[in-house]
Amino acid sequence: MSATAKNLLRFLCASLLIMLAAAALNFVVDPLQLFRPARLFAAMYSQDSRMQDAGLIRSQDFDTVFMGTSLSIHFRQSDIDRLLGVKSLKLAMTGSTSHEQSFVIAAALERHPRRVIWQVDDWIFRDAPETDQDIYLPADLYRRNIRGLAGYLFSGAMARESAWILARSIPPLAPAVARLTTGVLFKFPIARVDDINTLRPDVDVAEAYNARKSVAAFRRVIDPVRSAYLAEGYSYQAMVKNFERDAVGLIAKNPDVKFDIYFPPYSILQWVAMRDAAPATLQLVFDFSAYMAQRLAQFPNVRLHDLRVAKETTHNLGNYADVIHHSPAIDLKVLSWLAAGTYVVDRAAPTASLERLKAQVAAYNVDETRGQ
Amino acid sequence: MLFNSYPFIFLFLPIALLGYFALGRLGNLAPVVWLALASLAFYSASNWQFVPLLMASVAFNYVIGLLLIAKPLGPAARLAAVTAGVAGDLLVLGTFKYAGFLAANLNAVFAAGLTVNILLPVGISFYTFTQIAFLVDAYRGNVARYALPHYALFVTYFPHLIAGPILHHRDMIPQFERKETKRPDPHLILCGLIIFAIGLFKKTCLADGIQPLVALAFGPTAPSFDQAWIGALAYTFQLYFDFSGYSDMAIGISLMFGIFLPLNFNSPYKAQNIIDFWRRWHMTLSQFLRDYLYIPLGGNRRGPVLRYVNLMITMALGGLWHGAAWTFVIWGGLHGLYLCVNHAWNNFGPAIPARLAKPANLAAFVLTFLSVVVAWVFFRADSLPSALSILSKMADPTQIVFGRGEIAYALFIAVYAGIAWFAPNTQTIMDYDHKNRTVGEALGGRRMRPLFLYATAAVLAFGILGIQQHSEFIYFRF
Repeated sequence: MSATAKNLLRFLCASLLIMLAAAALNFVVDPLQLFRPARLFAAMYSQDSRMQDAGLIRSQDFDTVFMGTSLSIHFRQSDIDRLLGVKSLKLAMTGSTSHEQSFVIAAALERHPRRVIWQVDDWIFRDAPETDQDIYLPADLYRRNIRGLAGYLFSGAMARESAWILARSIPPLAPAVARLTTGVLFKFPIARVDDINTLRPDVDVAEAYNARKSVAAFRRVIDPVRSAYLAEGYSYQAMVKNFERDAVGLIAKNPDVKFDIYFPPYSILQWVAMRDAAPATLQLVFDFSAYMAQRLAQFPNVRLHDLRVAKETTHNLGNYADVIHHSPAIDLKVLSWLAAGTYVVDRAAPTASLERLKAQVAAYNVDETRGQ
Repeated sequence: MLFNSYPFIFLFLPIALLGYFALGRLGNLAPVVWLALASLAFYSASNWQFVPLLMASVAFNYVIGLLLIAKPLGPAARLAAVTAGVAGDLLVLGTFKYAGFLAANLNAVFAAGLTVNILLPVGISFYTFTQIAFLVDAYRGNVARYALPHYALFVTYFPHLIAGPILHHRDMIPQFERKETKRPDPHLILCGLIIFAIGLFKKTCLADGIQPLVALAFGPTAPSFDQAWIGALAYTFQLYFDFSGYSDMAIGISLMFGIFLPLNFNSPYKAQNIIDFWRRWHMTLSQFLRDYLYIPLGGNRRGPVLRYVNLMITMALGGLWHGAAWTFVIWGGLHGLYLCVNHAWNNFGPAIPARLAKPANLAAFVLTFLSVVVAWVFFRADSLPSALSILSKMADPTQIVFGRGEIAYALFIAVYAGIAWFAPNTQTIMDYDHKNRTVGEALGGRRMRPLFLYATAAVLAFGILGIQQHSEFIYFRF
């Protein structure tokens, strides 16, 4: 063999060895705790819930799954457990679609929880890529197939996180590494599972959630330049199709699991914005909402909570950061309403609460926002 | 299929290499046919619906070229043939790339209500330009007669098909015809792998690594002064490492087959003026625009005024070649303006005293870089208002956040700038000489130093470990 051919072989072998070393590091540290719960190294968690959920489902003990979008991302598992008397696992994902949510819930249901608490709104049922075409959701990690596991083990980014977690577990280095651990540079900066995607302690809640901000957001969305976005992505047929497949399909397939589904308490301004700037879309949302309520009423394992009509909350604009996202204080109220069944929809009259919402929307006077 | 994907690296490339060299034992033509078929397979992996268009384009241009080269046509007939060929190419390119843009503009002006939804075939800009150059050279009598398989391979050759470099037939086809390229050369394969590794590292570790910062300026929320600059600089470096990474990978892959591709980048952000920048950035496009647009327009032969007009036309059309949007036209026009100012300064500006040469060079370097960054804002922005909004934020230092995140991002940017400004480029590291067809001579030739060998092996490993799903190259969309 010539000297160059030997060099070529050395080059390829060295590359392979380095890749195997990275895979070994990822396997041993296992930042997502896919193979085993963290014991050798301190557990660390990521805010990237689409990735992190795959590990949480494997590593955590739970009897209740909590799913939703950014509207439920800040909930604390400890609050859910305390107020509902369960052992929960929060899997909410910001901006998630019904395809993503249904896929992740289905993966969690393989661990046989008894209950699913699911924050559902019309928007999650918009048309979206299938999970295998979804570039944000690592579907193969949930499936734990060869592609998913190889992608996890042979990932340089994950090896960097593994090395960092390893360094953080070495006593002399631990304090310094902990101080340097920041979400800006590392994907696994959270030490407690209860802190995943909760509001950081340094966030000024009064500054983040107030009437000034919600009214400003309202004025932005009804601005003629942007108001077209209010109607974007809405298609009744597509939403019904996705609802049937992602929600009804999952519910029907798991008759032993209790589903607590709730429509979140948007601020009244969201509905008023649609009323004034996109009335056809509002009608579509109301129609779809009626369809969902009627369909869900047919399943004995579903309890639907319509929190949209919680007027004392939705009309108090100080509770919101914009027209839909509510404050942590409302998170707790939501949980207490779910526990008490305050806004449970009557199976015999599934659209009664929708009619109340329609009346509230029709009656709201935007002059009330003046001076905010 | 992406170069930065497991199927390409671990399946397609080894099979293509093995088939090429195995068939090389049988003769000189079979490997060429194999490589052309492999290139079509590569293209069809993600663009199968456009394979007939690609093949029709090859056949059309080959027939026109054959008419010009082999048939004894009179001058008028030759002119008619080349006109028909170039017009046919431009018609296809115009239909697929610019029909939607034209319709949108007609709708804006006349409220015409036209609707055009045509998918853009990947690589069409590159293979169209390649073949227009072939036809023009054939018309000028500068082309020898090529066999169809060699011509087809020249157009479809997979290392360059999707995003260049823009190849020249006189450079490539003689290499395809050489018997020596059909025998595996471990030295070329090793050097090719190392160049590929550097390109892969640039793409997966550097370009993809800085990509999230781009959203600071170009995302949905209005940036502050510092965020706008961080985002614009992040895009400046992302684009460079993405595209030069792709070009390195193309050169490396081709070298494994024994074929030397032309260089496309030469540390462009080290340029001290815009003329210099365009000699270093996307060099094969610059050469094409110079030879087949600027010079035929008259170049600098018709006086200074027309020279500036020709520069503006060439650069604006160069901008439009990148994409069917006014932002690209503005980007090209801005660079045309920069070039005019640069030429005017060279002609009419004062001479710099020797003692001021260093600070003057530094000032020229900074000014050139900032001018390029400003132009990239138009290149990247979704619309003109969006570009102007970002530029206005970059010019408004009254709003500064500079929190913990921004400080960390600024450090990131500094690292990238350090690499782009001070690190040697790939051809320097590898002593790659396209003209003389040599590589790696300065590395001890065939006895490479172990430290260098293992360091570059680590670069390959990190490049592969950095592969993310769904990370396309920016220039794929052009």
